[in-house]
Amino acid sequence: MNAIIALSLSGIASLFLGFSTNRKNLLITTLLFVLVALGLNLADWNHEYFWFNNMLKTDNLSINFSSVILLSTALVVAISRSFGDDEEHTHPAEYYAIMLFAAAGALMMVTYENMIMLFVGLEILSVSMYILTGSDKRNLRSNEAALKYFLMGAFATGILLFGVALVYGATGSFNIHGIGEVVSRTKKGMELFEGGVILYAGIILIFIGLLFKVSAAPFHFWTPDVYEGAPTIFTTFMSTVVKTAGVAAMYRLLSISFPAVYGLWGNPLVWITCLTLIVGNITAVYQQSFKRMLAYSSISHAGYLLITILAKTPNTNGSILFYSLAYSIATISAFAVLMIVSENKPKDGKPDESFEALNGLSVNNPFLAFVLTVSMLSLAGIPLTAGFFGKFFIFTDAFSNVSPLFKNILVVAILMSAVGVYYYFKPIIAVYMKKGEIAEIQLPLIYKITLIITTALTIILGIAPDLVKNMF
Amino acid sequence: MNFWYFLTALTLLSALMVVFAKNPIHSVLYLVFTFFCISGHYVLLNAQFLMAVNIIVYAGAIMVLFLFVIMMLDLRKNVPESKSNLTKLAGAVLGGTLLVVFIAATRHMNLGNGSGAIGAQTGMVESLGMILYKDYLLPFELVSVLFFVAMVGAVMLGKREAGERNF
Amino acid sequence: MSLITLIPLFPLLGFLINGIGFRKVPNSLVGIIGSAAALASFACALSLFLNFSGTPQLVHVFDWITVGKLNIAMSFQIDQLSLLMLLIITGVGSLIHIYSIGYMHHDEGFGKFFAFLNLFLFFMLLLVMGSNYVVMFIGWEGVGLCSYLLIGFWNKNVNYGAAARKAFIMNRIGDLGFLLGIFLIIAHFGSVEYADVFGKVAEGGYLSGDKTLVAITLLLFVGAMGKSAQIPLYTWLPDAMAGPTPVSALIHAATMVTAGIYMIIRSNIMYSLAPETLEVVAWVGLATAVFAASIGLFQNDIKKVLAYSTVSQLGYMFMGLGVMAYSSSFFHVMTHAFFKALLFLGAGSVIHAMSDEQDIRSMGGLRKKLPITFITFLIATIAISGIPPFAGFFSKDEILAHVYEHNKLMWAFGLLGSIMTSFYMFRLLFLTFFGEFRGTKEQEHHLHESPLTMTAPLMVLAVLSAIAGFFNLPHIFGGHAGLAEFMAPLFAHSHVETAEVSESTEIMLMVISVVAALASAIVAYVIYVSKKAVPAADGAESGLQKVIYNKYYIDELYDAVFVKPISALSTFFHDVIDFLGIDLIVESIGKLVKTLSAEARLLQNGTTGFYLFAMVLSIVALLAWGLQGFFF
Repeated sequence: MNAIIALSLSGIASLFLGFSTNRKNLLITTLLFVLVALGLNLADWNHEYFWFNNMLKTDNLSINFSSVILLSTALVVAISRSFGDDEEHTHPAEYYAIMLFAAAGALMMVTYENMIMLFVGLEILSVSMYILTGSDKRNLRSNEAALKYFLMGAFATGILLFGVALVYGATGSFNIHGIGEVVSRTKKGMELFEGGVILYAGIILIFIGLLFKVSAAPFHFWTPDVYEGAPTIFTTFMSTVVKTAGVAAMYRLLSISFPAVYGLWGNPLVWITCLTLIVGNITAVYQQSFKRMLAYSSISHAGYLLITILAKTPNTNGSILFYSLAYSIATISAFAVLMIVSENKPKDGKPDESFEALNGLSVNNPFLAFVLTVSMLSLAGIPLTAGFFGKFFIFTDAFSNVSPLFKNILVVAILMSAVGVYYYFKPIIAVYMKKGEIAEIQLPLIYKITLIITTALTIILGIAPDLVKNMF
Repeated sequence: MNFWYFLTALTLLSALMVVFAKNPIHSVLYLVFTFFCISGHYVLLNAQFLMAVNIIVYAGAIMVLFLFVIMMLDLRKNVPESKSNLTKLAGAVLGGTLLVVFIAATRHMNLGNGSGAIGAQTGMVESLGMILYKDYLLPFELVSVLFFVAMVGAVMLGKREAGERNF
Repeated sequence: MSLITLIPLFPLLGFLINGIGFRKVPNSLVGIIGSAAALASFACALSLFLNFSGTPQLVHVFDWITVGKLNIAMSFQIDQLSLLMLLIITGVGSLIHIYSIGYMHHDEGFGKFFAFLNLFLFFMLLLVMGSNYVVMFIGWEGVGLCSYLLIGFWNKNVNYGAAARKAFIMNRIGDLGFLLGIFLIIAHFGSVEYADVFGKVAEGGYLSGDKTLVAITLLLFVGAMGKSAQIPLYTWLPDAMAGPTPVSALIHAATMVTAGIYMIIRSNIMYSLAPETLEVVAWVGLATAVFAASIGLFQNDIKKVLAYSTVSQLGYMFMGLGVMAYSSSFFHVMTHAFFKALLFLGAGSVIHAMSDEQDIRSMGGLRKKLPITFITFLIATIAISGIPPFAGFFSKDEILAHVYEHNKLMWAFGLLGSIMTSFYMFRLLFLTFFGEFRGTKEQEHHLHESPLTMTAPLMVLAVLSAIAGFFNLPHIFGGHAGLAEFMAPLFAHSHVETAEVSESTEIMLMVISVVAALASAIVAYVIYVSKKAVPAADGAESGLQKVIYNKYYIDELYDAVFVKPISALSTFFHDVIDFLGIDLIVESIGKLVKTLSAEARLLQNGTTGFYLFAMVLSIVALLAWGLQGFFF
């Protein structure tokens, strides 16, 4: 809660900092703001608080999710390089401010106790993302992506709101614990339950709103276009912060409000999960653009995250957090390398984001090549990286669920992981085995430090996963 | 009750006209009319304040803005439809199915015989204010962040920059 | 942070500094950092040893992996066994680090060398400090890796690379056994912590010869055979001499190769309940001891002789383990660490002086030029040959006495081995240091005693080789077997039931072995000093000698029996099964996925209208599916 207030205020503050001409200070200050928020967030550790009339609730789980979100935000800010030095066309103060607001929205989504907070948080996050997607004003792709995202996002928000209204109609409450109570009280004999129909429709519609945000199939269509059109730095933000917040929000709702009616939402979610895994992984195979491939990869990872939400074992908390963290840091590494390499090799005046742009990277930039390799291995789930244990925990959860449906999911998930290895190795092959000319790229210090942090974290989590998992 | 049916029919009709009208300005006007009808529903629900706000903000401010934009961009010309018949058909079938599903679902819904909870003071400014500034203080304040973001974004995206084509 | 966690941390830090800063840290600092790391660990270990209360200490560092009910922790256990190993590893390790400063300072990979050496130390410390089999396994693999890196340290020489590979692969075979053993332990006991496993064994009422325990111990022993170079997995060790000499001293003589013995002593509770395994251990040890000693008789490379001698001495240790003389075996581990490290370092000093010449046929008469090296080498030779009162005598005779009690035939073979040991060691000594110099003029001109950084460790080790025997002075000499007493708690639960050897027998055995050792030393003197015999040039040997000189053609045998058929089989697999079967299937699956992908990609057509259409379609489908019961 304090972190939300801090982020909102510091967002305004950083707008004022836009008057200063020194861009570098802006980056450092924003980073500081995020870290302060992280500190405030952690200060509530081991306490359970209800805030402002049960609008928000912070507990260790939500603090953990918030920390993952804030950590991702900090890392994204750190690799933003103050948005270049194009004084005319970039507005770092505004970008940073919007990112801070977006982070505040994301925190609302993981701590909400009242549906209204979920909605407000989701809207703050979404509106921020629409704006940032279109922030590259002179790039047609960016404009198109922003408009597409906005149209579809507005549609999804409407559906979510409709769902919230229906659930309110069925249970008479906006409070997620309140809803949970009503639902579990009337669970027996669902057919007789007078609100059963609306409740089901409401749950499904809320679901769809959230599934859209985490880009699960068949609500994923916006993802590749928007991810590709948005400036890479904001794509990074989108694929980490938005995804974590969406998954956390969904998990919170399902585990608190609707565990009693698992049968109602579990079955549709199984199919959505399988479809997401298949669509994300299969389509990624054919992509020629690294950025677009990462977009599909983010779809497939949404699928893995849904598995553990479905599995609902006592370990789910830890698994979902571990996976989010592993996925976020690896994704940030990958996008960071993509960003700096693609800008180094413009094609028709735009960054070249195809796999070919990476050819021969290892010759003069062994560090970047290594960072990219580790992140790809982690996303593919190869042992000794964080991604392996993320997948491992999720598969273990799925395996420990007795329902026969889970064996099917597991089969799909494992097959699709195998497919994943194929396209995650493409960049690695390009970097080490293809011939290409890339001069040595000078990395700003903070950029380098960020990459070292993400890579080291990926490896450490891959060697000693319990180090972090026990904290969750 | 009869008045309710009349108002609802009017709302639906005007809403449909928003979609079917060929001329955008007509569309907007129908939309204004729809808002008025909805405000009528608010009155029936004893929510006078909401009615007033709805008319002032939506029908008054936002729609007028819409009108200005449409007039400035001069969209009166009929743009030929680019969609094929197949698309239209698919859209219609899908929309129809959604409608059927909802109707079928709500047919079995039994919401009880109205609730007696709505008192005479329910929709009054005073009780609304109590709820808004007491129970829902936090979302009320945080919505300002949402508007703020939207404003910042609008300014940022709308700002004219050197090197851009100025119409 | 406790002292215990600091011990492995120092070498790790040293590795990181020297490894990351390779070519950036100045050479003068590299050696100091590396040696300081080892010395700091030694200091910690020593302080732990002096303050040791007698009860094992467990230090939990962090939980590593939790899978279901199995929790594998990164934690350390400090007890009598690990303390002694710590002292040996860090103590001998420190000396060898210091020695390396002098020995390696010309090498361009100086920093890399120290980084690897520190890394080795780190893994070795993990191996002996870990409180469960998995941590031990990490250390086990880690030292294997370092051994590989260091054997192939001069990787520009193709043969050295091949030797490194051979060591790695041979160890892999052993590791597989070890790993299977660990899996069996997990499956059977549900834990890998020593405390849990041994507790369950001690209280589980297992009968002697329990099938599971026999299987576990046999599998673990396969691991030990690989790491400690026992028949049939010993051939890598002589080849491992390709590495720099300090490496041979530290890794391939004093520490790593004794890991197998450490592991068996650690698991002594299980071994004591598996007499079948013990019998296997004893016979394999005996065979290795005699076999390797016989090969050592006719080798002409100074390091090869020492390598076979190491294999042979390791055989003795296993023989001791096989007759449940655990503390005697460990005693031999300790004394062997001292004198074998000394021998290798002495050999290194000789090689250094001889401008990298290793063939003893080209040496001779070095004792005047290298007095310190000569004296220390002499002490070590006497120690290893088992002549009192130096260290080797006590430890080897203790083992032989226990073996005598167990099986007279075994003892006879063991004695034969010890006679051979004495012969080849004195042969080496005489050929190297006595007689006339047989090398080139240039080499003779270069001869010089090594610098102090090299001779100081020699002297320290010489003192230790001379007096180490008194750490465990047997009762008949008025001692009180200090080491055995110290280690006794380790064997409290393992029902060791060796009968005490009577004093008269013990004295008799000692006299026999001392006389035998002296006799063979005299024979060696007569042949190589009085008669000035010099081994024939390569290819000029005949008969049995030729067979032995070529190490019984074991390498060729392995090549013919294992390597060739396997590579033929793999060619077959590659040409037929791989191409026709697997490639075809895999590639068609790949093509299928690609085709699907190409199709799926088309769905992403960029039209917002279509996307929304798909969304609404899904919404309708979901609602209709869920609400089908409500429709009519």
